[in-house]
Amino acid sequence: MILFPAIDLKNGQCVRLEQGDMARATVFNLDPVAQARAFAAQGFEYLHVVDLDGAFAGKPMNAHAVEAMLKAIAMPVQLGGGIRDLDTVEAWLAKGIARVIIGTAAVRDPGLVKGAARKFAGRVAVGLDARDGKVAVEGWAETSQVTALEIAQRFEDVGVAAIIFTDIARDGLLKGLNLDATIELAERISIPVIASGGLASIDDVKALLAPRAQKLAGAIAGRALYDGRLDSSAALALIRNARAAA
Amino acid sequence: MSVAIIDYGSGNLHSAAKAFERASRSMDAPEKIVVTRDPEVVFRADRIVLPGVGAFADCRSGLDALDGMVEAMTEAVRNKARPFFGICVGMQLMATRGKEHVTTDGFNWIAGDVEKISPREENLKIPHMGWNTLDMIREHPVLERLALGPKGRHAYFVHSYHLNATNEADVLARADYGGPVTAIVGKDTAIGTQFHPEKSQRFGLALISNFLKWKP
Repeated sequence: MILFPAIDLKNGQCVRLEQGDMARATVFNLDPVAQARAFAAQGFEYLHVVDLDGAFAGKPMNAHAVEAMLKAIAMPVQLGGGIRDLDTVEAWLAKGIARVIIGTAAVRDPGLVKGAARKFAGRVAVGLDARDGKVAVEGWAETSQVTALEIAQRFEDVGVAAIIFTDIARDGLLKGLNLDATIELAERISIPVIASGGLASIDDVKALLAPRAQKLAGAIAGRALYDGRLDSSAALALIRNARAAA
Repeated sequence: MSVAIIDYGSGNLHSAAKAFERASRSMDAPEKIVVTRDPEVVFRADRIVLPGVGAFADCRSGLDALDGMVEAMTEAVRNKARPFFGICVGMQLMATRGKEHVTTDGFNWIAGDVEKISPREENLKIPHMGWNTLDMIREHPVLERLALGPKGRHAYFVHSYHLNATNEADVLARADYGGPVTAIVGKDTAIGTQFHPEKSQRFGLALISNFLKWKP
């Protein structure tokens, strides 16, 4: 189980949204590089970064901030938001992003994910963001009629590194992860699944380490880390102990 | 596997259906070609074809007259990632807007406007009617093994307007008619041709076959 601290970028700043609503953004750090360094110092092993402006624009919008973070920290970074073509995938991977996260294009252009995953094995993840079980696209502004499972099944056996499954209704609201839906998805596909949206406390981390969640590869932590509700050292210690016991 | 050809009163419906049936019969695993006015059938189809001749606004209102059709088509193509083939005005409808006499909204799948062609030479008449070769702008699975380029096969055009795409990446092929004419567009799981593959003989059948085999 990997706990990914999240840095969401809006106008070059580190923000958290509520339910993906750009109008409900709280700035937590003006300096994403300082935030990335802080997460590295706390002992996290993998950083999750979202270019929020990019998700809406359909192309990278916070490239400067992302590149500055890459230079500042050694820990691997996964990046999503506005990655909709192979050129953008290649450019980010060349700049040192460990893996890219494709969201909207995984719905609209599955050929891109398949081609990218074949070309860059282990370095392409798919972000599926669901509202009432149905996948949302274009920075979550539009909801489709397809389920996350239907989309995830498109990418079985093409080398996709992970599916990051976010429950939009819970995201940023600190009501706990939607573990039931995430575990159900993980049990029906062979691609590793990472849970996202709503992680609120050490109890969520404990639930992620429980036997019923063993299929999950990790979880994303956002607001709870910023407002101190989740103590990073306690969470990381739990994970280390669970690994040692395994 | 089924291919839904949308019947909304467009003139080239039957020739399009016949060409798709012929291309399908020559495949190892023929697909069922269904001509339909039913949004449910379109929603469940494995591939969708939108023919179209006439004026942009007339085609749009004809399609809108089929209750729920645009929604079914959009959901199937944009979210279920079903391959889509727009022909002539069916291709133009993929644009942001049509500017034929009046401004009419398209599906906005391909950013750009449908504008009148303006050939440089005065002897080149509008509408542009006839056979032209195509120049490939971007590689795409539906263009595989097609004879493109100045010595290649010819496609049959009848039109006065074309899709002026905002993003060059969405243009797969152009023809020349006293200046560049957008011949094939492609984005995500949708493609469209300004020319009529159903009237373009071997070239058209080869293109349709490629489309039927395409697994995006």
